[in-house]
Amino acid sequence: MLKRINKFEYFAPSTLAEAISLLAEYKGKAKLYAGGTDVLVQMKQRKITPEYIIDIKNVPELNGITYSPEGELRIGALVTHRQFAISKNVPEKFTMLKEASLAVGSVQTRNRGTIVGNICTSSPAADTPPALLALDAGLKLVSSTGERTVKICDFFTGPFKNILKDTEILTEILIPDLPENSGGIYLWHSKITEEDETLVGVGVVVSVDNLQNKVCKQARIGLGSVAPAPMRAVKTEDFLKGKILDEDTIGQAAEIAANESLPRSRAEYRKEMVKVQTKRALSQALKRIEG
Amino acid sequence: MRKIPIKFTINGQQKEALVQSNELLINLLRDELYLTGTKYGCGIGECGACTVFVDDELVLACLTLAVTVDGKEITTIEGLAKGKELHPMQVSFLKNAAVQCGFCTPGMIMTAISLMKENPDPSEEEIREYMRGNICRCTGYTQIIKAIKEYAHNMKA
Repeated sequence: MLKRINKFEYFAPSTLAEAISLLAEYKGKAKLYAGGTDVLVQMKQRKITPEYIIDIKNVPELNGITYSPEGELRIGALVTHRQFAISKNVPEKFTMLKEASLAVGSVQTRNRGTIVGNICTSSPAADTPPALLALDAGLKLVSSTGERTVKICDFFTGPFKNILKDTEILTEILIPDLPENSGGIYLWHSKITEEDETLVGVGVVVSVDNLQNKVCKQARIGLGSVAPAPMRAVKTEDFLKGKILDEDTIGQAAEIAANESLPRSRAEYRKEMVKVQTKRALSQALKRIEG
Repeated sequence: MRKIPIKFTINGQQKEALVQSNELLINLLRDELYLTGTKYGCGIGECGACTVFVDDELVLACLTLAVTVDGKEITTIEGLAKGKELHPMQVSFLKNAAVQCGFCTPGMIMTAISLMKENPDPSEEEIREYMRGNICRCTGYTQIIKAIKEYAHNMKA
């Protein structure tokens, strides 16, 4: 692994407009660079050999975590896992995304790696996507010809694949406000290897009518590392809607989640763990509503 | 491809260098500044042997482009001692025999110092969690954790 990385021309634009025009100019031959914790590894492994590197670290528009009066949380493309995890701008209702950020890599990689980078790499085993799927996050994609906002559930298309065009920058994550009486959590466990890659990750957001009857108004479940791409457990979500969230229902939901997951390697074990983690996640999310 | 001029501070000393776009911080440190205390282990961010501080932030020198340290302040293991006096974390590692082959030690010490800055009185679990990105193949971690605990204890006293 002591390989040198290929030679490239290095750009460090200081505005978003400049970054976008560079991307348009070197279409397909350029790679965006923020933390470098994924890009440089892929370059060392010769999975990518970009001719141009566009370092967006100096683009101020891409910084910052803001919480709007309408209850929307905006996370800029340069926000690192570490910055997010210690941020005071993040209301408690979004704690589950902090949990997912803290599940990424090590202190050293969290200091540099960004949440947006985690999304763009699109590893099936990434930790923040399941949480963001449960939070129904929107992603703003900007290019020289315009911008579009897509839901994260429409973003991933396969292992390390997504809909991002080679002229687009994912500039920010937009997390809508949660309905009243909502609770969320991210649970995961990992393979025991040097990189502790996540074996199963489950992000859950549940909303109930009121705390007494615990009738599920809405549930969103994001699963990581159990399908070719991070996925929503749609069948489980549909099953939960309108039901009283007692132990029985949660148990059945966990079974459905396991059945709709699509793990390839260690499939039997992973499915079993989807069941276990979904059950735990739903019960604990419910407890969080109660506070 | 043209070389890029950068200016930075390394262990308190100002330096200038001409670097290739694809040069990594680890190469700059080891091959050009001869600061070989920072080790090149896995090269893909899994072992932590190349851990250094850039502007007081714990990072991996193997996953940092050299051009990006322009204007920054870097501290490596060589920058910890004051003259002949070792940093107390180094002393604690020596005293507790937290070193065998020594390859992981510089990275371990940098990470341990960062932990102490953030959390001066960590539990064993917190130490283990924080040190997760630094791998040691000899000691079984027991002595390393002991060294960090003793350092924290001494600082409290």
